[in-house]
Amino acid sequence: MEKACIDINELVNVFSNVHGSIYQSDKLNCFYVDFGGKFAKYNCLSLQKLKKVVEQIDIEELLLNTHRADFELVTFNGCEHIYLLNALEIVALKDLLQGTFTMFKLNHLISDCLYRLVV
Amino acid sequence: MKDLMRIKCLISQDIETLLNQQIKKEAHSSSLYLSMASWCNQNGYDFSADYFTKQSEEERMHQLKLFKYVLDMGGNAISPEVTGIKTDFAGFREVFEDALEAEIAITQSFKNLAAKCHKEQDFVTMEFLNWFLKEQREEEYKARRALELFEVIGEEGMGRWEIDKHVNKISYSEE
Repeated sequence: MEKACIDINELVNVFSNVHGSIYQSDKLNCFYVDFGGKFAKYNCLSLQKLKKVVEQIDIEELLLNTHRADFELVTFNGCEHIYLLNALEIVALKDLLQGTFTMFKLNHLISDCLYRLVV
Repeated sequence: MKDLMRIKCLISQDIETLLNQQIKKEAHSSSLYLSMASWCNQNGYDFSADYFTKQSEEERMHQLKLFKYVLDMGGNAISPEVTGIKTDFAGFREVFEDALEAEIAITQSFKNLAAKCHKEQDFVTMEFLNWFLKEQREEEYKARRALELFEVIGEEGMGRWEIDKHVNKISYSEE
């Protein structure tokens, strides 16, 4: 999906690093991952799956094994997007996703304190 | 910003992971008990074979109860891969020793899960787990009582035949 199709003002920047950003759309209840030249849409479940897939990649094996390519295809069943990433890009995407999920936790705590637990 | 992850699911990722691990452990126990039933049947211990078949069904029921809970809370319940089930036992007593050890491991696992729930203040899951914690009292009691029959009756002579007859009669009552 092209960035131009989305009204960026309607999105909330959840987390960014130097390699990319993840946005949330409160209107559409979905997320947009801006990474590796792609602007890809994910729902809650698929974003969790993406995180799991990225975290399961053995980066050490990728770097040390000389009998395989130096990049990894990142996707999962039912995912419309495929990333072809080298080790550094995998580390960057992992950092981006972990930062995003930490922000989700923080947002959950803040929502609880500010709105849900107010008497 | 909407709390989308919370809207989608009541339980946290960590709790979901632990519940899925528990589902796997229950599936493993169910298969192990079935394996024990098979061994007992082949060696002529019919009552014990029935006892372990029933235990296997109970573990399967526990697995499905956990599975349903994860799904009901909006989580991703994972159908587990069960491998490495022990199929051969050195003797009649070893079967019951392994059964007790399996129950102790399950109890410990539930205790860890409960501790995590307390840490996260997930009292909804904690309340759900209470049923399992109570169930483990019965499970461990039955496994321990079965093993104690080997001490009380003894294995010599007709001992094992007598133990086999008594295994199916073990029952637990809170009163």
